[in-house]
Amino acid sequence: MNTSPDHIFDLATSLDAEGGARISITGDLDWDTAEELTAAARLCLGAEPPPRRLHLDCARMTLCDSLGLASLLMIHRAASGSATRLHLENRPTALQRLLEMTGTADLFTDRADESGQGGATRPPLPPRQP
Amino acid sequence: MTAPHSTGLTIMTRVERPPAHAGQGLLSSVGASWMRAPYPALVVDAHGGVVEVNARAAGLFPRAAAGVPLADVAPDWLVQAHGRASEGAGEPAAGPGGSARGRHAQWSLEAHPTRGVDGQIVWWLVDDTDRALAEAALKSEQERTAFLADASSRLLASLNSQRCMEVAVELAAEFLADAAVLVAPASGRRHPLATCVDGEVEHLLARIDPSAVPGLAEALQGFPPVPSRWIDPASLPDWAVPGGFGGPVGSVVVTPLPGHGVPAGALILLRRSDHAAFDTSEEVFARVFAARAGAALSAARLYMEQSGITATLMAELLPPMLQRVHGVEFAGAYRASQDSERVGGDFYDVHPGTGPGEKTLAVLGDVCGKGLEAAVLTGKIRSTLQALLPLAGDHLQLLRMLNGALLNSRHTRFATLVLASVLRREGTTRLSLTSAGHPLPLIVRHDGTVEEAATSGTLIGALPDVRATSAEVDLRPGESCLLFTDGVTEARGGPLGDVMFGDRRLRAALAECAGMPAEAVVERVHMLVAEWIGDNRHDDIAVMAITAPRTTHLTAVDGHTPGRYTT
Repeated sequence: MNTSPDHIFDLATSLDAEGGARISITGDLDWDTAEELTAAARLCLGAEPPPRRLHLDCARMTLCDSLGLASLLMIHRAASGSATRLHLENRPTALQRLLEMTGTADLFTDRADESGQGGATRPPLPPRQP
Repeated sequence: MTAPHSTGLTIMTRVERPPAHAGQGLLSSVGASWMRAPYPALVVDAHGGVVEVNARAAGLFPRAAAGVPLADVAPDWLVQAHGRASEGAGEPAAGPGGSARGRHAQWSLEAHPTRGVDGQIVWWLVDDTDRALAEAALKSEQERTAFLADASSRLLASLNSQRCMEVAVELAAEFLADAAVLVAPASGRRHPLATCVDGEVEHLLARIDPSAVPGLAEALQGFPPVPSRWIDPASLPDWAVPGGFGGPVGSVVVTPLPGHGVPAGALILLRRSDHAAFDTSEEVFARVFAARAGAALSAARLYMEQSGITATLMAELLPPMLQRVHGVEFAGAYRASQDSERVGGDFYDVHPGTGPGEKTLAVLGDVCGKGLEAAVLTGKIRSTLQALLPLAGDHLQLLRMLNGALLNSRHTRFATLVLASVLRREGTTRLSLTSAGHPLPLIVRHDGTVEEAATSGTLIGALPDVRATSAEVDLRPGESCLLFTDGVTEARGGPLGDVMFGDRRLRAALAECAGMPAEAVVERVHMLVAEWIGDNRHDDIAVMAITAPRTTHLTAVDGHTPGRYTT
């Protein structure tokens, strides 16, 4: 194998004791691989009953392009549908910047502690206009 | 028993004279074995008269009998070989060089002489018909394989379907027949035809009746060919026989050209009447060739269709030429990714206000993904925006409507874009900028300061709702606003080809663009990025500059704006 480590894409799925699922993403999330992540997440969310939480661990994600983000948005949409709380963990700086620029960072920010604001699924900034 | 160790010679000595009834004079044991020898053998005297014929040889040469001249019963090649062998009769023993080979009736024979006394020669014949057949079959198979290899590489050399048709008829007329006619599937009511006779290729588009050639209508639908012998050459219509053919058609093969799923046409092969008719193996081979030609043709046709679609889309999607609108300069540049999908996901447009007092709307955006899907989404965004122009004054409303039009339950393909409403009034150019999830526009002030427009918003087309805040920016003469896609900042290059161009380099480049016309700003940024990328792969790159032009009299004269040196 002469493939350098950053050209390997890998998804590792695991379940925890409290009914949560975790997908660890290694490598570039892009044109070639985004579909794979969407499919893996759909598989997790399709379980009966659906997991209470889905953790996407991005610690070893090397890149996320627009199709990667589209995949994350699709997973978010699917997770909302099955009432699963989505956690995007260990975001690399570039991913965080992409999320902020596209106004999607708040979608993936865990607000478990802010249970007082039930239903506040929309990011607070910028303020909605009439 | 004389010389029992040399039976053949014994026979010859026994039969040398008188010729008649010589066989009956053989010793019974030897004679029997000679007569029953598994190979044909005959004894011929020095004058070319047959002396003795064994049972096998009698089967080969029914008229051969003692006393009959060899020339009357045997093929010429054997008679000549006998002549040559007899001339060397004085030599002590027959060399292997005296052997001969040739055909007799349906057989292929090898003849080996052994020499007896008095110039008599025994010809031992070996029937090698099967070997000759196998050799001929092998040779023809080798030729066919070589031809097919050559044909494939020539057929696949071009993705132009006309050229591909040419090559197919050329090859067919050269190797398989005297002339070939390729009938492509009808385009409209006419069929494109390519004909070749004696290396001369002709193209024509003709209204033909395929049912006039037996089997052609079926072949065009991809059904297997009818056997050649069923086709009466005399019944062929004029168009099926190329002009230069000359002479009557002797035999015809019609074979389908199977394409990828759909027939790619049919091939008509013609032979002149003075040539052998197509035999079964040739018909089969014509089908093998047709399979390759069909695959190449349909690949070429698919490619041409696809490149036609791409060209049509490209023409529609290519960014427009920009110019000065109501006293404000607009300039844009676009560099498509050199990846195979030529239609990119970046776009820009300028929709001029209806009059000098109306806002002009500029849009620059980036669609998620690439290729045809991205192109379709780009087209949708551009036409929707065009339709929503009456709402251009309210960016948020515009973005909401656009988002609603793009939302799709099947996917989350999104777009990011920047809207810029531009209005020039009394020397000041006012921009209303809104980023929908897009890299922020950069403002180049006249002193070289580079600022980011304070706008933010969500991307379009994936979320149920959008939010956005706009930024109001005033440009003084000579100041520019640059809209760009992430293809600029994320362009990888530099000494090792792995460093992004990045915000810092872009800002540094822009700082040097203070006071430049829009055209020059775009040119400069584009050039620096191109230099940075070098030969590396890159994404689509789109840049647009909106510039408040310097008036001919300097800014300070204008009265409303601060002079260039006053800040």
